[in-house]
Amino acid sequence: MRRLVPFIVLVVVVAALNGWLDQRFYVRVLTLSVVWALAGVAWNLMAKAGQISLGHSAFVGIGAYGFTILLRDSDTSPWIGMAIGMGVAAAVALAVGLPTFRLRGFYFTLATISFPLILELLVSHYGDPELTVPFHPEGEWEFMEFSNSHTYVWVGLGMLVVALAISELIDVTSFGFALRAVRDNEVLARAVGIRTVAWKSAAFMISAALSAAMAVLWVKAVLRVTVAEEVFGITVVIVMLSVAFVGGVGQTWGPVVGAAFLIPLAMFLDDSIGETVPGAQELVYAAALVLVALLIPRGILPAIERGCRRIATRPDPSRELAGRSLLQRLAAPSPRPSPLLRLPLRRQRPRMPLPAGAKVLEVDGVAKSFGANEVLSDVAFSVDAGQRVGIIGPNGAGKTTLFNIMTAHLRADAGRILFKGAAVDRLRAPRRYELGMSRTFQVPQGFHLMSPLDNVVVAAIGASLPHPVAASMAMLERVGLAGKALGELSALTTAEIKSLELARAMVSEPDLLLLDEPLAGLNESERAGFFGTVDELVAPHTAIVVIEHSVRSLIQYVESVVALDDGRVIAEGPPEDVVSDPGVIEAYLGSKWMEHARDQ
Amino acid sequence: MVEFLQFLVPGILIGGVYALLASGLGLIFGVMRVVNFAQADFMMLAMYLSWALFAGGFGLDPFLAVPAVFVVFLLLGMAVHWLFIRFVIGQRENHDAQVILTIGLGLIFQNLILIRYSSEPRVVAPAYANEGDFIGDIFISRVRLYAFLLSLLVAALLFLFLNRTGTGRAIRAASENWEAATYMGIDIDRTNRIAFGVGVALTAVGGAALVTFQSITPFVGFRFVVVMFAAVVLGGLGSVSGAFVGGVLIGIIQSVSQVWTSAAVKNVWVFALFLLILYVRPNGLFGKVQRAI
Repeated sequence: MRRLVPFIVLVVVVAALNGWLDQRFYVRVLTLSVVWALAGVAWNLMAKAGQISLGHSAFVGIGAYGFTILLRDSDTSPWIGMAIGMGVAAAVALAVGLPTFRLRGFYFTLATISFPLILELLVSHYGDPELTVPFHPEGEWEFMEFSNSHTYVWVGLGMLVVALAISELIDVTSFGFALRAVRDNEVLARAVGIRTVAWKSAAFMISAALSAAMAVLWVKAVLRVTVAEEVFGITVVIVMLSVAFVGGVGQTWGPVVGAAFLIPLAMFLDDSIGETVPGAQELVYAAALVLVALLIPRGILPAIERGCRRIATRPDPSRELAGRSLLQRLAAPSPRPSPLLRLPLRRQRPRMPLPAGAKVLEVDGVAKSFGANEVLSDVAFSVDAGQRVGIIGPNGAGKTTLFNIMTAHLRADAGRILFKGAAVDRLRAPRRYELGMSRTFQVPQGFHLMSPLDNVVVAAIGASLPHPVAASMAMLERVGLAGKALGELSALTTAEIKSLELARAMVSEPDLLLLDEPLAGLNESERAGFFGTVDELVAPHTAIVVIEHSVRSLIQYVESVVALDDGRVIAEGPPEDVVSDPGVIEAYLGSKWMEHARDQ
Repeated sequence: MVEFLQFLVPGILIGGVYALLASGLGLIFGVMRVVNFAQADFMMLAMYLSWALFAGGFGLDPFLAVPAVFVVFLLLGMAVHWLFIRFVIGQRENHDAQVILTIGLGLIFQNLILIRYSSEPRVVAPAYANEGDFIGDIFISRVRLYAFLLSLLVAALLFLFLNRTGTGRAIRAASENWEAATYMGIDIDRTNRIAFGVGVALTAVGGAALVTFQSITPFVGFRFVVVMFAAVVLGGLGSVSGAFVGGVLIGIIQSVSQVWTSAAVKNVWVFALFLLILYVRPNGLFGKVQRAI
């Protein structure tokens, strides 16, 4: 219900304006505001995953050219043309997205710049740089040829509402969680079973399809001719960027707020001084981009939300009520428990409980080099169900690299990893997590824009748990973080972050838990209690592998120790034997110390 | 073969200018990890400055104006860094802000020039603009040759600056590891400011080298922006010498592609190559990861 309020307000406002305004220019302003709000909503779907695209005009151009050519050559209705254009745009998005999404950071943004440029050059040179949209007065609805310009506003409003509903739906389902996780910390997202490439591709396809749909409305209602330079042009992207960033990047309602503010401003300015100042419209967008970048980099809505939260956290109850304005509702992040949270996109694979004594993990001949630097060579050991194994070794011995290879964050140069008897070398990180391999990180990782609860929910979604929120809350209770579940991640102490990492790793009930220096940064009493907490959480069949420098704490806990030095296994066996092994002592303390000890 | 050479030689010549344009972008990315989308608009501004000095009564030869252009844009770049860029440097969340800030700044430059000088194309035509020499069957335009030699000269000076001066070494240190550089007592804000100024000035000199054979409009930068990015990515994002090699390669590809396809689509090859490199070798042809020099 709460989510319906902005929709109602939008429809009422646009309907009132559409009924009240009659001057042609004002109707044009209203139409274009709706068109660009729609474009911004489409663009923003990618921004939900933290991906800034500068190539969306490629999809706008595909939509515009697609329907115009179909209409010209075969009198196809623009509605059908729109559907076809959306399909083509989505297919192109998939084709260009798949290779790009393997890269991170700036690369996606850089790669997107060239798509519309290539298309524009090809279309202008080998096709028509300009196409007139054929006039079909005989079918007002069939050919989207409305004699009353207000009708275009109604059509645009309908499309905008649909786009917003899609965006809203993404926000409240696991789709939205996955995208937010990608934006926040992609490496961690993959470690907790989020198939980042698939989700980003899905968002990109929907975004491209909506952009193509927007193009049909834009051409039919406003442009009337399809010009390559315009529909494939950079200005399209700049307006999309401006409305989205001003309103709130990645926020469903951001582009609506941005467009309502920027488009009329730009058009009125152009109307009044455009004659003498030719670039007035573009200057509005440019100034908006610069100001937003410097003052409110996440946009108006998040800024309002932050302001409201600041007011709401004061103890004055009347203030708190005032804070719950419509704008705050627009800006509010997804609500916690939602029945829609579980999208039936992937069926949970039933996991067989392992028989006692079965091998959970077999590492066989694993080698890894970074350039000329050999980090691991011929490492082999195995772990039984329910067994606790410690990995020790001096800094640089290759311990964390070994973990990264087990969880597919790195690829081994040679060797095999068997998990529950099956080779997993070709499986990527999310898939290995789904199979029951979980880990914590040497440098604790988190989704910093999410609450502690949501941090665990992402992992629960990654494991396709039937009730991710309930399971996550239960897990937080067990590690003693229930009271802080909805707070800020930055408010947690080191020990609490370690507990959160544990909860996130344990929510999937893994068969193998990999702990990377879990005691680092903890004080004496926290250290003493840590492994007790782990034991309370794990199922009896779960195998645990721990990397730890605090050998004294470790050998009290594990049943077996693997000692690494310089990328090789130098000792393996019961803890007492390994720590008294001369090779291990030498690796830790150096050969000088060994001579010294022998002399004594 | 002759036809091929007829395209190859001008390709190398223009590639030298692309190299200069791209080296500025590469230097800025290398040092402060900012992808400056306004870079090509600094080039556009430099072209207008060059045009104003030539056509605006001074009659200053565009190649002789290069030192003036360099100094003006060094200062302009440092000012833009001080006024805007320094606020969006560093944190991971600033990535989006860097993109929209630099796009916004570029747009502002374009439209201020549009308001002041209209969109009418301007040309700078010194007396020797159409002269050239034949070497065998291959015609070598004199202005393009001068532009290429200028690029080589600036490249040599840049190399000396980065390797032989304290500030240059600080820039290299910062681009390798800025955190470690701060521990060594390098003033990172000042280093960034100078690097941004030098980066902008390098691209500006590239723009000044172009004016004798490239007409000038407020939106000319856009044609070059992807060319510059392509050169930088080709050579390895953040590597100045890589950007140089990348620029020359892009010039060659652009020119030689005309043996097979129309000149109108020569940039399609550049953009396609750009994508291919991003997909196949995102660290550049030479595989050096994010090193400045």
